[in-house]
Order: sequence, then structure tokens, then C-alpha cells
Amino acid sequence: MVNEALPLPANPLGIRGIEFIEYATREPLALGALLSRMGFHEVARHRSREVVLFRQGGMNVIVNAHAEAVRESVRGNAPAISAIAFQVGDAAYAHRRALALGAWDMPTRAAEMELHIPGIHGAGDSLVHFVDRVDEFSIYDVDFVWTRGVDRHPPALFGLHWFGVVESVFPDRIGDWTDFYTTLLGFERLDASHFVGVLPKGTLLRSPGGYFYVQLVEPPPGADFVEWDEQLLRVGLGTPDVPKAVQGLQERGIVFVDREPLRPSERGALTQIYFGSVCFELVHSDAPPARPRATERR
Amino acid sequence: MRLEDFGMDALTLPGPLDGKLDAIRRAGFSQVMLSAADLAGYPGGEDCAIRAVRKSGLRVTGLQVLREFEGLSGPLHDYKVGVAKSMLEMARAAAAPLLLVCSTTSPHASGDFDAQVADLRKLAMLAVPLRVRIAYEALSWGRFVDALPGAWALVQAADRANLGLAIDAFHFVASGTPLEALEEIYPGKLFLVQLSDFVGSAPASPEERRETARHLRVFPGEGSHSDRLAELIRAVDQIGYESDFSFEVFNDDYMQMSPSRVAERARRSLDWIVSRVSRRSLPVRRAASPAGTRRAD
Repeated sequence: MVNEALPLPANPLGIRGIEFIEYATREPLALGALLSRMGFHEVARHRSREVVLFRQGGMNVIVNAHAEAVRESVRGNAPAISAIAFQVGDAAYAHRRALALGAWDMPTRAAEMELHIPGIHGAGDSLVHFVDRVDEFSIYDVDFVWTRGVDRHPPALFGLHWFGVVESVFPDRIGDWTDFYTTLLGFERLDASHFVGVLPKGTLLRSPGGYFYVQLVEPPPGADFVEWDEQLLRVGLGTPDVPKAVQGLQERGIVFVDREPLRPSERGALTQIYFGSVCFELVHSDAPPARPRATERR
Repeated sequence: MRLEDFGMDALTLPGPLDGKLDAIRRAGFSQVMLSAADLAGYPGGEDCAIRAVRKSGLRVTGLQVLREFEGLSGPLHDYKVGVAKSMLEMARAAAAPLLLVCSTTSPHASGDFDAQVADLRKLAMLAVPLRVRIAYEALSWGRFVDALPGAWALVQAADRANLGLAIDAFHFVASGTPLEALEEIYPGKLFLVQLSDFVGSAPASPEERRETARHLRVFPGEGSHSDRLAELIRAVDQIGYESDFSFEVFNDDYMQMSPSRVAERARRSLDWIVSRVSRRSLPVRRAASPAGTRRAD
């Protein structure tokens, strides 16, 4: 018998990809409409809470408007990226290992939800979750009700797939957060030659297997006047053809920043900031990594 | 070295926290090294204490002190991790950028180097999301680490960005640590220097060092080791240290004086330091120092 949960040395948690990225917001309808324009489809709703699952291709986005989640993650009315869930070989092991190495366990509010997904504190008020057994059944089967008559696996527009997240950090904190991702999750720090996209700055970390990147950025020099906090700033979406994706998304009503040095190019593009905080970065990335597909019971 | 780099440990002063903060500020210092006991024991509790600190306008140098942390196992380890988490949360709430940790004296602790490294790494990781740095200090009566080189070996091996060293001048002098030990240290890894002298010759045994540290410390310039202390401060400056100095002077006599008088002694001590470790001479020395050049890399 092959035990797939056995982690490889360079991948201590057996990370296989991203299960979902969660936004917390007080205005789920507005964020949902934006996600729809980005090509996501609403496929399921939580049985008892104001939590909606959006999906395209291999990407799941959870929009969480549940009061407690919003209170903990959202400042003002701007939505926030409140969690990243990694697919791992053994979620309980990943959680135990992280705690043994000095991670903070997630707050009780998440543990009280019907969905018991172990997690730890991440950047700012966000959480890092660990999800396993994605091949056998889906975590969404437990607590979500599938939307009738909707394809549960809508294909991705323009080959869009998860590429990474950008995390803002305070000055002199790159080293601290690099330690966090390398120690707890087995990420590796890349040198500047690996930079991609339209904003090649900060420090780039790559997940085991190359599924996912975390870009750490410090405030620009001399920017004392800029309001700066530690948080997950935006998600990066990979696509093999950035100009085509930009054009297609523009036709769907998405506005891209169109001034130097952020003008859309072959390498990448940046959408405008919606609702004061939500922004998507497109990055040239040839192929979405092979990812185990969840097989929900029907 | 600038005036604003110097502050006082609240532990050095007698009485309640408000009087200490007031005395420190009135003596012309702009920062205070807080003691967790001062915050926890404040009338109205920790939140009120933190409000008082904010109101004082003093910058917080750090919070002290987490003891007997490394080398424990089983329930004792879990218990200490819980204590550490409380102190880290207190540090964050008080805007203390660092938590001071002393080398263990516990008879329950293991001396296994790797186990101690793992524990310091864990502590550093716990501190990451809270934006607190960990400053590890060699107690001169520590069970396994009793001088700077031992502390540096652990900090180097742990290799965490937010984990560095604190030097307490008392322990440095009392343990007879050679100044050369400083040359090994990367200045960015030295997070805090605490200053005091003491009365009498260097105590021989760990027990004597403990007694002397707790009762016979005096301010630099008032004690028996002025030359050694001046050398230490100069050497720390030479390696390129640019962070804070704090007066940490426990003395039974000071506990019977008004906080303002003790703070005034601290201020006189600062004048003594400036006169002994002249600012003008420092850049010349540093430029001439091969060690300093190497550290600049």
C-alpha cells in the first residue's frame, strides 16, 4: 500500500496545492459580483452561515460574511483576504507540527464552525489552514449546499490558476516572515532572478512543488505617510497568455491599471483596487500545476 | 551613541509604575525597559498600566523577563510555552519591540544543545506574528549558558531573524568574559545592552554572582569596575552596535530612595559614560578597526 501522506524531506507537510482562499467581507454581494466578472461561479452556500463558495478551474474562493469572521478580519468596510488553505498530506500532522515549531493555533471562532479545518495564525489577522483527503471527498460536502443546476466544476477562463499572494510586512520584517514560511510550510526563498509579474520587488518565496508563491513587500522607502499594515494584500492569478486574459477580463468589466510602470504586459497586469482593498494580479505562468481534483458526491 | 539611545529599566526604580515613568522622563530619558511584573501588578491591571506607559510619552525599549525557558520537556515545556505566549502578548500590547529571555538555571532543564536551539527557534517563531524580537541573555549563574559566547553559539545555531542577544554588563564583567568575545558577534544580532557596575571584586561562584547581581549593583561610574565597563561600552560601539542601552541596576539601597533620586543617578551615570567613552574618539577607532570593517560587510 502506498502511503501518500508520507511527506518528502523537502516538503515536510506534503503540500500539493491551494484548496481555497477566503475573503472576509461585510458586503458579500458586491464581492461576489466582482468575482463573477473575474470568471468565478457561485457553486455552493454554507448550510447555516453567510458563507459562499466560488470556483473556476482549480481555484476555490470562499466569501465569508459571517459576523465573527468579519469582526476579526475586516477593518472598516474593506474586504480582507482572511485565510489560505493548503492541501497537505495529513492535515492533523501538519497542524501538530506547526504548533510544535511555534505557530499560534487559530482562534476558537473557526474551531466552533461546523467545518473543522485545522489552522494557524498567519499574516495580520489571516489564518493558514491545512486540508487533506481532497481526493476522497470534499470539505464542501459537509457544510455546503450545492447550487442547483450549476456546473460544480466550471472551467477556468484563460487558463487562470492560483499563482500566489502578496503580503505586506513592516520594515525589517522580511527575515521574520521568511522564517515563518520556510520553517512552518517548507517554502524556499528565491533570488531576484526568479521575479515575475509587473511588480518585481520584495522577497519571493516558493512553496514545495512550485505550486504557489508568497511575495513579501516592505513599505517603499520614504513612504512614512503611507498607511501600512501587515496583511495579505492581493492574490496573484497565473495565465499562459496575459494580454489575452487582460482583454477578455476587460470585456467582462474588469479595469486594469494602465500607467507605467504597471501597464499590462506579457509578464503581468494589475487590476484596479476594488472596495478599497481587493485587487488581482495576473502573472504569466504557462500551465496550472497538476492538482488533485476534488470529487464531490452528487 | 546618542542620548535617545539610553533608557532605564523600570526594575531599577522603587515604588509604583507611575512614579517610575515620571522619574525616568524627568531625568531626561526617552525610553523605558518594562518589567512584566510592573504591568501585571498595576492597580486596574495590565491595560491600565499600558495606558499609563503610553501617556508617559516614553518609548518602550522592551519587556522583561522570560526565565527558565529552554531545555524543558513534557508538561514543563508546555507550561513555559504558555508563559512565553502570555509575555509575548503583553509585549505586543505594550508596544515593546523585544522580549528579554535569560539563560536557564533550572535543574529540570536539559543541557542538550540541539534541544535548546529548537526551543529558542520555537520562541522566535511564536514572536513572529506579534512583531516582537527575542533578546537572549547569558545569566552569569546560568546552568548551561553563563557567558556571552555560549549565548551567541545558541543564537547563531538557531539562526532566526528575530532572535538576537542581550548583553547585561554585570554578567559580562562578573563572568570575566574577554572583550574579544564581542568581535565574533554580528552587530545586527545584538538587540540590547543593559548597563550596571557593581561593588567589590568579581564574585567567584555562581551563588556569589547571584547575590551580588541582586543587591550590589550600582550605576556605571559608581562601582569597582569602571575601566572594564568603559571598555565594554567602547567595544560594543566599535563593532557597530546602534540599538538601545538601558540602565539595569538592582540595589537594595535604591529601593529605599525616591525614584527621582535614583533616576538622577542614572542621568549622572550617562554623563560619566559620555565623558569616558567620548563620541569624538569613536569614529576614529572604528575606522581603524579591521574588525569594524569586516562587520560592515
